[in-house]
Amino acid sequence: MSVIDYYPGDSLVHRLDPRVKLITLIVVTVTIFLLSNFFVIAAFFLSCLMCWHIAGLPLNKVKGFLKFLLSLFVFLTVVQSLFLPGEHYLFKGFFSLEGAIFGLLLSFRLLTLICFMPLVIMTTPINKLALGLVKMGMSYKIAYMATTALNIIPTFQDETKVIMDAQKMRGLTVFEKGKLIEKFKAYPTLVVPLVIGAMRRAQLMGVAMDSRAFGAGKTKTFIEDISLQNVDIVALVLILILCGIALWVNFAW
Amino acid sequence: MAETIIKVDNVSYRYPRTKKWVLKELNLEIKEGEFIAVMGENGAGKTTFCQCINGVIPHSQQGKLKGVITVAGLNTLQTPISKLSQIVGMVLEDPETQLFTTKVKEEVAFGPENLSMPVPEILERIRWALKVVRLEQYAERHPTALSGGQKQRLAIAAAIAMKPKILVLDEPTSQLDPIGTEEVFSVIRELKDEYGMTVVIATHKSEEIAKFADRVLVLKDGQIQAFDIPQLIFRNTKLMKDNWIRPPQVSELATLLEEKGQLLKGFPILPEEAIQLLTKWYEEGEA
Repeated sequence: MSVIDYYPGDSLVHRLDPRVKLITLIVVTVTIFLLSNFFVIAAFFLSCLMCWHIAGLPLNKVKGFLKFLLSLFVFLTVVQSLFLPGEHYLFKGFFSLEGAIFGLLLSFRLLTLICFMPLVIMTTPINKLALGLVKMGMSYKIAYMATTALNIIPTFQDETKVIMDAQKMRGLTVFEKGKLIEKFKAYPTLVVPLVIGAMRRAQLMGVAMDSRAFGAGKTKTFIEDISLQNVDIVALVLILILCGIALWVNFAW
Repeated sequence: MAETIIKVDNVSYRYPRTKKWVLKELNLEIKEGEFIAVMGENGAGKTTFCQCINGVIPHSQQGKLKGVITVAGLNTLQTPISKLSQIVGMVLEDPETQLFTTKVKEEVAFGPENLSMPVPEILERIRWALKVVRLEQYAERHPTALSGGQKQRLAIAAAIAMKPKILVLDEPTSQLDPIGTEEVFSVIRELKDEYGMTVVIATHKSEEIAKFADRVLVLKDGQIQAFDIPQLIFRNTKLMKDNWIRPPQVSELATLLEEKGQLLKGFPILPEEAIQLLTKWYEEGEA
């Protein structure tokens, strides 16, 4: 289970049109990048968590992912405070307070942004996502490529685990107990079989797709259709208004 | 006599950046409605041969192709795969990689969707194809939730949803247990008997070949070793040894008896035949 698997459900978020979700994601991303006020970002973060609750997505499923993010944020904050000049310093000329605050703000912004993504990906079946992209004017070949890539990541995670288990069974303990440098040295034994396997898989998948007329025409039909409902339009308008208000609050005050 | 549907005329093929010819001057004809088994050790050119029939070679797989392959009157060199895919359905060896959608229904719909068929027609085809492979009740499932045999049957459904005349299967049961193998072969049999589909199947399973195949093509190093009815193929001890083919167990028994100077009145390839012949042989011995 990861942040990119589809998590089945029948919530309001699940039922929204994929186009609405994709547009929301773009609008929210841009807005968050423009924001600089801590409280406004916090408001976004809280509303994001609320959406998670509405969608019924379990937070504990992404624990590992959040842990990884946390280390990234610590790194970001430390680097920012090291290199961003300010007026207040922790040591003489080192670790500026302004830099640390900037780093924290940046991290918070990123966290908020990243928390929005699973809301789209985890609540939309991959074929609907592709359909949404196509209906928004993307060529179906590119839409398929993008969504297939998403689809295949869990397979890679499984395969990585299989390779690691196979290595463990033959006594390789580097990935658990080894020093950092040893881990680096051992990585090719993991990455090489993974990449070769992936290439072989991609080639076979290409044969399978070609054999079923992929790319035969400029257009293709979809057996499942999507259409904008009233709730979709209301949701979209609401989100646009909220983003507008957020930007106004951020810059007017 | 039925019409020729696949004609292979002096065909040689070599993969890109290699010097070795994997297929060497193949010449053969397959009639409409025939069930052809392709045998031979690994690396004999079975997969390459299969991919030549549906146009993956030379259209998606580069390399050098000499000679002419005609499928239902169309030259594969000049016909795009999208057109060929409506004549030749393809099932690959690995049950996993050839399924790439998130729903059984979507998997079957993929081909017809690409051909921009109207939706009601596609739904009709999904219903039909899933019924033929007996997977109707799994239409809404995720393909990864199926067993190996079910996955291969789904791959067959996805291929026949294009309503092809020919079904090419490249070792479809090599990764399956006996039950899965049985399921897959019974579906293929039905396609041949009820829908008159021409079947070309690369496989090592002699028992199943004995039961279903009209003719057996034996390849070695890209050349035809033999192309004949199963009785004659499995009887040819030297051919079996040279190509590492294990004949059906009853045929092995007959060959052993023959070596011991005990001649049966005929050569069995099926258990039922063997029972008959052995009973007769035993009774005559008694008398």
